Amino acid sequence: MSVKVFRWKAIGPLFVLLVIVAILWWIFADGIARHQTQTVGTLMLGAKVEIQDLHLDLPHGQVRMRGLTIASPHEAFKNLVQADEIVADLDVVPLTEKKIIINRVAANGLRFGTPRQTDGRVAAKSGRGIAGRVYAEARDWASRFQVPVLQLATGRVSIDSLDPRRLSTIPAAEALGARADSSRRAWQAAFDTLRIGPTLDSSSTTLERLKHARATDLATINEARQAIDRLKRARDRVTNLEQGVKKGVAALNTGLAGLDSARQRDYAFARGLLKLPSLDAPAVGAALFAPGAIKPFERVLYWVQLARRYMPPGLLPRATTGSPRLRRAGEDVRFPKERALPRFLLRSAELSFSLGPQGYAGRLIGVASDPAVYGRPTLLAASGPQLAAAGLLNHVRGTPLDTAGATVGGIRLPAFTLPGVPLRLDPGAATTELGFNLNGDTIHARFAVHSTNVRWDRDSGFADNQIGDLIWRAVSGISTLELEARVSGELHHPQLAVRSNLDQAIASRLRAVLGEQVAAAERQMRARVDASINGKVGPVRARVTDVESQAQSQVSQQRTRVDELQRALEQRLRDMLGGFRLP
Amino acid sequence: MFALLKLIQSLFGALHSEGTPGQLAAGIAVGSILGLTPLVNLPNAVVFAALVLLNVSFAGGMLGWAVFVPIGFLLDPLFDWIGHALLFTPSLTPLWTSLYNVPIVPLTNFNNTVVLGSLVFAVLFAIPLFLAARYGVVRYRATIAGRVAQSKWYRALTTSKLYNVYRMFRP
Repeated sequence: MSVKVFRWKAIGPLFVLLVIVAILWWIFADGIARHQTQTVGTLMLGAKVEIQDLHLDLPHGQVRMRGLTIASPHEAFKNLVQADEIVADLDVVPLTEKKIIINRVAANGLRFGTPRQTDGRVAAKSGRGIAGRVYAEARDWASRFQVPVLQLATGRVSIDSLDPRRLSTIPAAEALGARADSSRRAWQAAFDTLRIGPTLDSSSTTLERLKHARATDLATINEARQAIDRLKRARDRVTNLEQGVKKGVAALNTGLAGLDSARQRDYAFARGLLKLPSLDAPAVGAALFAPGAIKPFERVLYWVQLARRYMPPGLLPRATTGSPRLRRAGEDVRFPKERALPRFLLRSAELSFSLGPQGYAGRLIGVASDPAVYGRPTLLAASGPQLAAAGLLNHVRGTPLDTAGATVGGIRLPAFTLPGVPLRLDPGAATTELGFNLNGDTIHARFAVHSTNVRWDRDSGFADNQIGDLIWRAVSGISTLELEARVSGELHHPQLAVRSNLDQAIASRLRAVLGEQVAAAERQMRARVDASINGKVGPVRARVTDVESQAQSQVSQQRTRVDELQRALEQRLRDMLGGFRLP
Repeated sequence: MFALLKLIQSLFGALHSEGTPGQLAAGIAVGSILGLTPLVNLPNAVVFAALVLLNVSFAGGMLGWAVFVPIGFLLDPLFDWIGHALLFTPSLTPLWTSLYNVPIVPLTNFNNTVVLGSLVFAVLFAIPLFLAARYGVVRYRATIAGRVAQSKWYRALTTSKLYNVYRMFRP
C-alpha cells in the first residue's frame, strides 16, 4: 500500500493562517515596531525612550517617527533630547539578513535638556544590562577623584582633646627635678668631706695667740705659718668644689632651658591637633568646582564607553545577552565579516535642533555596529551661531580613539550651589567649552566656562555666619567667571586639576578670617599645654634654683671665711716682723 | 484542565487513529522539535508547516509538542551549553560567519546559543524518538488498544467537539 507524503487538503487552512498572520502584521506592525524600538532603545541607552507615533512604510523603505523623547540617564526629571519628527530611509533588502541599514535620517525639531514629569533613568536605577554596567563604571570612575572638602558650614576650627601623657615637658621636668636632688646630695657630701671647720677653728686659735705673741716667739710664728698653709690648701679644695658646683649648676640650667624647648615642642604637638581647613587657592578651587566639573566628564565618558560597547573594534565573534523571552535568553553571537554590511549602519543623519531661541544644524555620519566592517569612523559635526562642535569615534582599528570638542556660547547654564560655601552661583549666559580625547584607556579632557555676567545669591541659612559674610563680600562684586577643569592620565588612575578666578579671592578671605580663628585656637591650645605642665615645671624650676643658690652660697661663705682668716694671719705676721722675711 | 483534557484527547486520538505507527511516530518526533526549541522562531514556522503539510499524524505532533514543552524549559541550560560550544568552536566560525551574512538565515536566530543548541538537540533526538514511538504504538495496538476502544470513557472522549476538530487533520 502506498502512503501519500503530502496532505494537500491542509494547504487551504495553512494559507488562511498565513493570511491571518499577514492581516495581523498589517494591523499591528506599527505598534509592534514602536514598542520594540522603545524597549530596545531604553535597554541600549539606559534611559526611557518614548515614541508617540511610528509608521513603517516598508514598500518605500521609510520609517517615520513623531514625538520621540529620550530621557536623560543622569538626571531624573530631564530629557536628553526630544524630536518632533524623524524620517529614516531604510535599505529593505538587508532586512532579510537581519541588518538595519539606514541610508539617511532627517531629524527635525530636536531640543535638548527639556523637563519631564517622571523619572526616566533606567541604568542608574536598575544597574542591569550593558548600559547599567557602563553607568556603574562611569560612576566608579568619577568617584576616584579626591575632592577636598571645605568644612566651613559653621566657620569653626575644631580642637581635639589634649592628653597630658603625650606632652614631653612633664617627663623632662621630672627628670630634671631628680637630677637637682641628686646634685644637692652630691654637693653636700663633697662639702662635708672638705672638713673646713676644724681648719678654721685651729687657724682662729692660732690667730688669737699670734695677737699676743712677740716677734721672738718663733714657735707661734711657725704655727701661724702652718695655719696659713692649711688655709691655702682648704681654699684649693673649696675652689675645686666651687668649680664642680659651677659645672653642675650649668648642667641644671641647661636642663631648665631643655624644659623650655620641650614646652615649644608640646606647643607644636598641640597645634597639630587643630583641624584647620586648607587655605591654598588651588585646593579651594577644587573644593568649590570639582564636584560640578567632574559631571560633564562622567557623562561624556558614559556615552563614549557605551559607544565602545555597541560599536566594538575588531572582527572577532562577540556575544551579548539574548533578547528576553519566557525561555532562557541565552547569548546572541555576532559574526562580523569583512566587506559585508554591519548589523546596523546609519550612513548619514541631518539634524536640525535648537538651543534656546537659536536654530542649529548638525550632521552625523557612519554610525556602524561593526566599525571594522564598515571601515570608516563615525563623524559628528554641528554648527550655528556661537556653536562649533565636532566628534570622531574611530573604532576601526584595535585601539579605539574617541575624541570630541564643542564650544557653545550664549547658553544659560543652570545656577548651582558651591559646596561648603553658603553661596549660589548663577553663571548666566556663558560660553562653555568641552574637549575630550580617549585614546585606548588614556584620557585627556578639558571643561571650561567663561561668563561675564555672573550673579551671586546667598544662602539664607548662613545669614549669621561670619565666614559667609566675608566670602559673600569677597565674591559678590566679581561679575566674571573663568573656570577650567582638566582630567588626564590612565582611566583607572585619572588626575583632576581645577582652577578658577574665584579661588584666590575666596582663599585670601578665608585666610584672613580663619587666620584669626587659627591664632585664637592656638592660644587656647597653648593655655591647655601650660595648664598641664606648669604644675610640674614650676616646682622643679624652683627646686633647681634653690639647689643652685644653696650650693653656691655655701661655697662662697666658706671661701670668704678662709680668705679672711688667711689675710688676718698674714697681716699679723707682717706687723710682727716689720717686713722681715723668715726663711 | 483544558490543556490536560486536550492532551489526553490527542494521545488517545492519535493512538487509535487510522494512521500507521510510522505516521504517528513521525508526528510525535516533529512535534517534539516544536516543544524543545523556543516557540517564536523561523525554524519552528517551517517545522509547523511541515507538520501540517506532510502526511504525518497531526495529533501525534500536538502530543509531541505538548509533552516536550516543559522538557524544553528544563533542558534550556543544556541547550545553552551546546549552542555556546558550537558557536565558539573556532573551526566552525567560518561556517557561522557565512551563514550570518546570508539573507534569511540570520532571521532563524541560529546565532543564539539556546536556539541553536535546542535545534541541534531536537533534530538529533527526533531519530531515536521516532524509533521508540513507533515501537510503542505497535505494541500498544497489539495489546490493549482493542479493550480501550470498547470502553465507555473512550467513546465519551471521542464524541467531544475537540475530537471533531482533530478529525480534520487526522492522517
